[in-house]
Amino acid sequence: MNMSFREKSIWISLISTLLIFGDYFLNVIALANLSEAVAKTTALELSIRAFVLIIIVEIIFQTVLALNNHKAANLGADERDKLFEYKGNNFGYTVLVIGVLLTLGRMVSLEISPEFIEQFKVLNIPFLTAHILLFSFILSEVVRFSAQLYYYRRCD
Amino acid sequence: MINLATLPIKNKIRELRFFADEMTQQELAELVGVTRQTIMAIEKCKYSPTLEVAFKIAEIFGQSIDEVFQYQSV
Repeated sequence: MNMSFREKSIWISLISTLLIFGDYFLNVIALANLSEAVAKTTALELSIRAFVLIIIVEIIFQTVLALNNHKAANLGADERDKLFEYKGNNFGYTVLVIGVLLTLGRMVSLEISPEFIEQFKVLNIPFLTAHILLFSFILSEVVRFSAQLYYYRRCD
Repeated sequence: MINLATLPIKNKIRELRFFADEMTQQELAELVGVTRQTIMAIEKCKYSPTLEVAFKIAEIFGQSIDEVFQYQSV
């Protein structure tokens, strides 16, 4: 497979995001079974762990990639990379906007009828609004990376 | 949306590279300031370059832009 430096870099970001935040969201869903106090502490710990981990993993792998391809790393993004980045951003932004609108809809629904939450005890996860927003953001990132990779593969 | 698989702009970069002392894709990419993968995509007609890159490629081979790139209407 003939991949450019930028494409390899996107693969690293996509895989690390899927693994780290996939694990994070699976653990967050399991919080619904815990007591409120324990769930809150665990949710914070999980968030900190996921963010620290993604930063470390990205720094290590992107540095190794840049060291092995220093010429391409210095060249930066060319016009084709920028075009695919722009197209990927469009898809990612759409997903993010949908996520934000759904979150707003949920918040307004709860303001109008607070008893609504009682019917969905299974979703009794601490910081649920923040998690839905974070999920929207991560999903938008995954869509953005995937769209860029789709164009790279299609154009190869 | 642009259909990347069937672009109407054809080119003879491969032929021009051959007659330029068998210039490699990497050498051309470095002269133009793009990646080798971009040159490869242009050669295979899977990516249409911007006017700036098209002019640079033509200039490197000492040709006019319409001698390097041809628009073939579908």
